[in-house]
Order: sequence, then C-alpha cells, then structure tokens
Amino acid sequence: MSSALAVFRKDLQLAWRDRSGWLSALAFATISVLVYSFAFDLATADIRPLLPGVLWTTFLFSGIFATSQSFQRESETGTFDAMLVAPVSPSTIYVGKLISNLISLLIVELALLVLTTILFDTPLLTGELVLVVFVGTVGYVSLATLLSTLGSRGSARAVLLPVLALPLLVPLLIASVRATGAALGAPIDSAPWLLLLVIFALWSTIGGALLFPVVSER
Amino acid sequence: MTTAVPAIAAFDLTKRYGGVAVVSNISFSLRAGSKIALLGHNGAGKSTLLGLLSTLITRTSGDASIAGHAISTNPIELRRNIGVLAHLPMVYEELSPLENLEFFARLYEVPEAATRIEELLRAVGLWRRRREPTSILSRGYHQRLALARAVLHRPAVLLLDEPETGLDPAGIALLDQLALDNPAVTVLAATHLVDRVDRWADGVLRLDRGCVVEAPDPVTAEVSS
Amino acid sequence: MSALWQVLVAIFWWVIHTLLEPIWNARWVALPPLTGVMMMAMIVGAVLVAPREIVEGEVQRLMYIHVPVATISYLAFFVTAVASAIFLIGRDMRWDAIARGAATVGIMLTAFALLTGAIWGKPTWGVYWSWDARLTATLVLFLIYSGYLLARAVGGPNDEQAARYAAVVGIIGYIDIPLIHFSVDWWRTLHPQRIIFAPKPALPGEMLLVLLLGFLGILFLTLWLITLRGTTEYLVQRADRVRARLDQLERA
Repeated sequence: MSSALAVFRKDLQLAWRDRSGWLSALAFATISVLVYSFAFDLATADIRPLLPGVLWTTFLFSGIFATSQSFQRESETGTFDAMLVAPVSPSTIYVGKLISNLISLLIVELALLVLTTILFDTPLLTGELVLVVFVGTVGYVSLATLLSTLGSRGSARAVLLPVLALPLLVPLLIASVRATGAALGAPIDSAPWLLLLVIFALWSTIGGALLFPVVSER
Repeated sequence: MTTAVPAIAAFDLTKRYGGVAVVSNISFSLRAGSKIALLGHNGAGKSTLLGLLSTLITRTSGDASIAGHAISTNPIELRRNIGVLAHLPMVYEELSPLENLEFFARLYEVPEAATRIEELLRAVGLWRRRREPTSILSRGYHQRLALARAVLHRPAVLLLDEPETGLDPAGIALLDQLALDNPAVTVLAATHLVDRVDRWADGVLRLDRGCVVEAPDPVTAEVSS
Repeated sequence: MSALWQVLVAIFWWVIHTLLEPIWNARWVALPPLTGVMMMAMIVGAVLVAPREIVEGEVQRLMYIHVPVATISYLAFFVTAVASAIFLIGRDMRWDAIARGAATVGIMLTAFALLTGAIWGKPTWGVYWSWDARLTATLVLFLIYSGYLLARAVGGPNDEQAARYAAVVGIIGYIDIPLIHFSVDWWRTLHPQRIIFAPKPALPGEMLLVLLLGFLGILFLTLWLITLRGTTEYLVQRADRVRARLDQLERA
C-alpha cells in the first residue's frame, strides 16, 4: 500500500511541476462549457434540466483526455517500465495512478462547478451534488485509467480511447446525469441512480485493479 | 566464491512475436559475482533477453530465475533483486535527481534512503545539481542518474543494456566502480564496446539470431561454446 | 486445490469431452445442413405459415427474424467474453481467434437487429428509431464490440498485446450489459413513450411456433458463422506467422 502512495505522491509532484497537463484539462473543461452555452443557448432562464448533461459530458471528455495523457507520458519516457521493474505488483501501480488521476479530475470538476455556479447563477455546491460527482468520478476514472494503457501504435490511438470508453460508460453517464438532476431539485424519479453509481464505481475499480496487470504486460 | 544458487539462470527461455522466435530456447547459468558480457549482432535478441529476465517482457515459454526466485512463481521477489538499465533512462524529466531517487527509494523500500541517495548522487556528480529538473541535464548525466537509480537498492544482480551509451570516460569509470568492477554484484551487460570486454568481463554470453552460441561455464565462468 | 474441487473439475471436463466433443468434431458436417434446414423452416414459417397480423400487416413478419437476431447477438458476445477470459488464462491465441470471430458475428447480428427494427418501425409506428430501451441497449452493445474489434485490429493478427487488451474490453463489455440495461430502461421510463415493444397479449400458437423456429434458425446460423469466422481468424493468424517466418528465413 505504501508503494501505491509513493506512486500517487510522485504523480502529484509531476502534476505540480508540469502544470500543462491538468491546466489543459481545466482549459478544455471551461471551453466545453462555453461551447455548450453557445450551442444550446444556455443564457436563457431555465437551464437546470440541461446542466447535469453539460457537466457530465465535459467531465467524461476531460477525464478520458487527462488519463490518456498521463499514461502516454510515462510510457514515452520509459518511466512506466521503471515502475514495472520495481518489486511491486502492477495492481499497486494501478491504485496509485487511480488515486492521482482521481484527485486531479476532482479538482478540475470542482473548479468547473464553481465556474458553472457563477455563469448560470445556480447553487451547485450542495452536499448531495458533490457526493454524486465524487462517486461518478471514481467510476469513470477507474475505467479510464485501466483503458489508458492502450498501446501507442498508429495515429488512431487518440480517437480510439474515447470510442472504447464512452459506450462502456453509458450507464455511468445516464445515472450521473439523473442523480445530479435530482440533487439540483429536478422532479424525483424512483430509480435508485446513486446505488447504480456506487455499483458501477465498485465494479470498475475492482475490475481495473484485477485486470491492470494484464494490460500492462508486454 | 561459488554459491549453490546461480545468480541468473535461464531454462529454455523463449519469446515469440507472431511466428518469429526472437529468443529461442535459451539456457544458461551464471555464477554469483560474475561479470558476463552479453554480445551479439543487432537483432540477436540481447535486449529481449534482458527484458525477459527483468520480467518486463512476458515469456512465451521456458523460465528463468534470479537469486533463486523464478519468474513463474516469484516475480516480485525477483525484481527486488535486480537493477535495470535499458535504452531509455527511465527517469522523470520534470522531477529533480533528488526527487527521482526519493521516489524510487520509496518504491524499493530502501532503508536509510536519505543517506544512500546522498552517497549515490555525490558518486555520480549530481549532488550539486540535485534540485534542478532532470530535463536540463545532458545525456551523459541522464545516464549517470539512471545508473544511480539502478543501484539504489543495492540489488544482487544488474541487467544492463548498453550502459556505456552517452557516458564520457569519467562516466565509464563510474560505471566500472558502481557495477562492472563491483564485487558485490552479478552483472549481465549487453554491450557493443568489444574492446573493453576483456577488461571487466569474466565471461561472455553470445547470442546469434535468438540462440546461445557461446556461454560461460557455470562454475568457473570461463567461456565455452 | 482441494480434492473435492479437483473431482468437480474432472467431472466437468469429462462432460465437456464426452458430450460436446463429438458435436465439436462433427461441426463442419452437422452445422451447415442443420442451419439450412432451420433457416428454411423459419423463412417458410414466417412468410407462409404465420397468420397475417391484423393491425401491422405483412411487415410484422419481420418480428420472426428481428427478435431472435437481437436476442442471439447476446449469445455471440457471450462467446466473445468467455473466449477472451480463457485466452487471458492460457494465452492460447486460438481463443483470441474465436473471440474475434464471435464478436464479428455479434456485430453483424446487432446491426441486422437494428436495421430490421427500423424497417419494421417506419411503416408501423412512423419512426425508424424510437429510443426503445432494449434497442438502445443493443445499440450501445454494438458500439462496445465495434470498439473491441477496432482495438483488436491494432498491431496485426498475432499481436499478443493487442489481443490481451481487446480481451479485457471484451470481458468488461459483457459485465457492463446488466448495468446498461438497467440504466437505459430506467432512463426511458421517465418519458411517456409509445408502447412499441411492450409485452403483447399472448401470441397465438402458430406465431409462437414460428418464433421458436426463428430462434432455432438464428441459433444454428450464429453457431455456424462463429465457427466459420473463428476458423478464418485462426487461419489468418497462421498465415501471418508463416509469412513472418519466411521473412525471417529470407533475411538469414
């Protein structure tokens, strides 16, 4: 476990040193919101029904992009191999990477929530909403971290990762949007969305930890 | 000093990519403390063999063991006993030499890490520049840092892939001091600098097209065919 | 492994071998005629035997192919998931060939299901696509396994690393299915929608019979196509290995 923490700490140091990584993610997220604002005319009065969708599509795209970047850099400089050659199991590396990706994305999401609160004059930082965002983020970050090891052959790689990840994330997307809507005061529907999110997060984290050794071999 | 357990041993080790065997039924046994030069033309399988021994590359069939730990049963313990130098320096460009070694020291659970790190950084000449980002260092200093990383946890076995690359004569002297002339380690080093081999190597492991054509005697480490 | 576990595994393998092996060995001989017969029965049944549906008309006959195809595509992807798991355990590339073949067949089946759904939908309810929960889930499945095939195609027929990565996708994709179904289903129940594929009052006997024939026909067709496609993938692997070996020898 201490090795996982070592990996996580190293990733934090890296993120701080090379701010371009998560700053790009943050910039992308901000620009997405702006694009949606223009595309769907969100300046009008009641945008509450659209907000969860705007938020979660932005989160998912930024997340996939950021985790992919993170792995790509490690693979290019050979430092991923350096970790594989250490006396730790790949699952431990996965946990470390998962935690660091999670923290990075939670920060981006928090910033985005603040931005959206200001832009659309809607209080977004409620306890329930933050909980939904947290559980949903664990779900998609664990899957994205696992899939980010897609080999770097060919130029199709950049497009391929979202093509692979997004269909798998459909349940998470639907559930997150609904649960976020409920947290914002949308009419309650009886489906247990938060439960689905928790199950998804559990399943994808456990699956990721078990399967990461398989995808990190050469 | 011979010990019962060979430092590095391979049993019919094979790696296939597609139909092609890059490394084919390789068997050998290296005595602890010996320094063996891994020789062969480009494409003979030297890097692949080193990759297989370090468990970076998954074997197709066969097995290997280092310090008694086999790939098939104990890969994590095996890796605890090896230090690896590959083609890429395997260090983080954005971090300083000090931070790099601190990370690896944590990963390898090196005891009294701070002392060990200082010792190594001084030895490779990076102590003064220990807090600068690695990216501004020259190729030679990258290699020195990589060398420090490889020996940080005092591994019993060193697997080196063309370690002299990028090193000036002072750097090569360091390589000798830390690895090639170090009595405490077993070294298997792939190299193209054939002239130097007589200087440091006890024996030669030669590959041709994925097969062993020359191997050191397991007991005396003298060359036999 | 405990003794009981070993006994159970041994019994399991005995069953597999004695019962399924003869069928497996006879697959080239048995499957084509069986498929042909069942498919003919299905077509004859759907076109001639089944009564004309009062409300929807002739186009309703597409049900006899649409429903089986949509359902059995799940079987094809199940084969992919299981073959992927076996491949990951034993690293035998033949199972990767089967997984890949089954996925291709599954993709074909889902595409066909979506298409027949659209053809059936337009004259009957005025729309090609209605976001029906089950068809939407089928569409997501189509995308997941298209991704599987794309990921697998990277690197070539014998690329073990690509095969391993794709196998992971193949397995995760299948485990995702219940989650997809729940989420899409709950999502659709929020909106009043046309009752398109709601459970009908019990179908008359002849329709049920033809539907059953449809299931059997598509089942055999799928098994046969998986066999064909899986064997093709395996042969492509072998051809690629031979080519690589020839290149190696030429260079020597």
